Amino acid sequence: MYNYNVDALKALFKDILSANTSEDVLNWLLHEGNFNTRFVMVPRKTGKAALQISREQADSLNALIPGFSLNGWSIDMLSRAWVLLSLDATDKNEYFRKLEQLFLAAEVNELFSLYSSLPLLAYPDMWAKRCAEGIRSNIGNVLEAIMYQNPYPQKYLDQSAWNQLVLKAFFTGKDVGKIQGIDARANKELAYVISDYMHERRAAGRDINPSLWRLVGPFIDEKLIEDVKWALHSGVYVNEKAALLALTQSDYPAAVELLNRYPELRKAIENNQITWDGLTLEFQH
Amino acid sequence: MCCTHSFEDRQSIDKDNTPVDLSGIAGMKFFDPHVHMTSRTTDDYQAMADAGVVALIEPAFWLGQPRTGLDSFRDYYSSLIGWERFRSSQFGIKHYCTIGLNSREANNEPLAEQVMEMLPLFIYKEGVVGIGEIGFDDQTAAEEKYYRAQLELAKEAGLPVQIHTPHRDKKGGTTRSMDIALEHGLDPHMVIVDHNNEETVKEVLDRGFWAAFTIYPFTKMGNERMVEIAKQYGSERIMVNSAADWGISDPLAVPKTAALMKLRGISDEDIRLITYQNAITAFAQSGQINEADFATGAGAIDQSQRFEGNTVLRGGQQPRVDKNSIIIS
Repeated sequence: MYNYNVDALKALFKDILSANTSEDVLNWLLHEGNFNTRFVMVPRKTGKAALQISREQADSLNALIPGFSLNGWSIDMLSRAWVLLSLDATDKNEYFRKLEQLFLAAEVNELFSLYSSLPLLAYPDMWAKRCAEGIRSNIGNVLEAIMYQNPYPQKYLDQSAWNQLVLKAFFTGKDVGKIQGIDARANKELAYVISDYMHERRAAGRDINPSLWRLVGPFIDEKLIEDVKWALHSGVYVNEKAALLALTQSDYPAAVELLNRYPELRKAIENNQITWDGLTLEFQH
Repeated sequence: MCCTHSFEDRQSIDKDNTPVDLSGIAGMKFFDPHVHMTSRTTDDYQAMADAGVVALIEPAFWLGQPRTGLDSFRDYYSSLIGWERFRSSQFGIKHYCTIGLNSREANNEPLAEQVMEMLPLFIYKEGVVGIGEIGFDDQTAAEEKYYRAQLELAKEAGLPVQIHTPHRDKKGGTTRSMDIALEHGLDPHMVIVDHNNEETVKEVLDRGFWAAFTIYPFTKMGNERMVEIAKQYGSERIMVNSAADWGISDPLAVPKTAALMKLRGISDEDIRLITYQNAITAFAQSGQINEADFATGAGAIDQSQRFEGNTVLRGGQQPRVDKNSIIIS
């Protein structure tokens, strides 16, 4: 049912919960009751303080579910995840029905918790459609719950849903550097769509997020190199640096040759003075 | 909430065209405890934020036409706690709501039964600060039945009640609404009686209920009349709201009323109570209002939500558009 050791995770969560709540609240959390009501009522019981987690606990968590962390989580989020883990998953259909009902009637904080908890759910394949639906949301926090520090999408979304996630991240001004697997799942189809997107931005006279280039770099060919050439002559320094950084990801002969024409910037890249994260910061200011 | 009024009515009114000047209330904060934002545009949110509205309550309302099935109620309630709340947060306005079956909708009994079954799924959600708006419209038997049922629900959940008083036979309907609430054992301090006027206010206050006034052109209170009421009754248990909706209404009714009160010599403290604090005191009895979430000004951040320092726009707020420029970029 689960693709990780759920009993070990529950034990770890229980440790973290007991260190972050009073005994009364812990007892309430441990006590079984109506699943829906418990899930909804969590913040009334737990409050919303930020979680305190030890280094060891964070490491154990990452060992159990690689890429998953409670960084930035509050006590109500963890408690809701705990309630989700208390749901009997033996009957797959019933398990799906009950969780879908939560999604359908969820308010914004519940949605945030639910999507942040996708990596914890049983039958992980079963939630790919739900995750893709979440990406259609226009609610910023919901998108961030899926896009940031969440190992689920990288592992379970098919390519078209993945590409939608990445494009939506750009359209909604998200920090794509926080998407797990952003480079690992780069693909040619996405690179071409991004090239079209950059053309639209250019036509509209709007600026271009330098992070777009990291998805183009590995697929540079005779068409995409024209975009690089445009950027190098755009007169916008952040564009130029991003385009050169993209060239370093490419084996395409014309790309290698083009990069060699900028020895100083190439050197700066090699010395890690120009990085995607650095360019993102520069772009935002 | 709205009722009918024609464009011609509006034309025929002899208006005092004093221009809006909100400078007298600059820096003041407002809480609009009754406004139907689903019917309003995003520009209204921006104007409200600019005028100092930091938080609001959106009571569940009817659609303007009948809902025909349970799912449309579900989607509506979900939007009040989901999408609308997010839209509001983009302007740093904290969005709360009250959930209930509207009196007009109580008259479709088979559907009303199903809605009553579903309500408990929503009333315990975060930011649900009461059961509302409920009460009488036509004052039918069905309306009374579901009004009573929802009073029981409020009592069980420990939530305040926001009562809509009827347009027709208002005085009788208001008295009857309060009688029934007391009959069900509700503490009048947990009940906000809405849409008051000069004729109803005294009894509402005398009996210990909260008296809300809706500043809504043509059909309810005007803000000049409101100033006179504040002069006569003071500020205890009195609050104003816009009840702006899909009718000709004004989402800035609360700040505009505050500005007029200021011009006409009402004290700053009374203005604060009537346009901000009393609504908070009344609805915070739900346990769902934390003033720290909005009192510090625009963009206060809910600690339960991750905030990434990746943009100057906090919590997903939108960049501003310069409306004074002919250029749209």
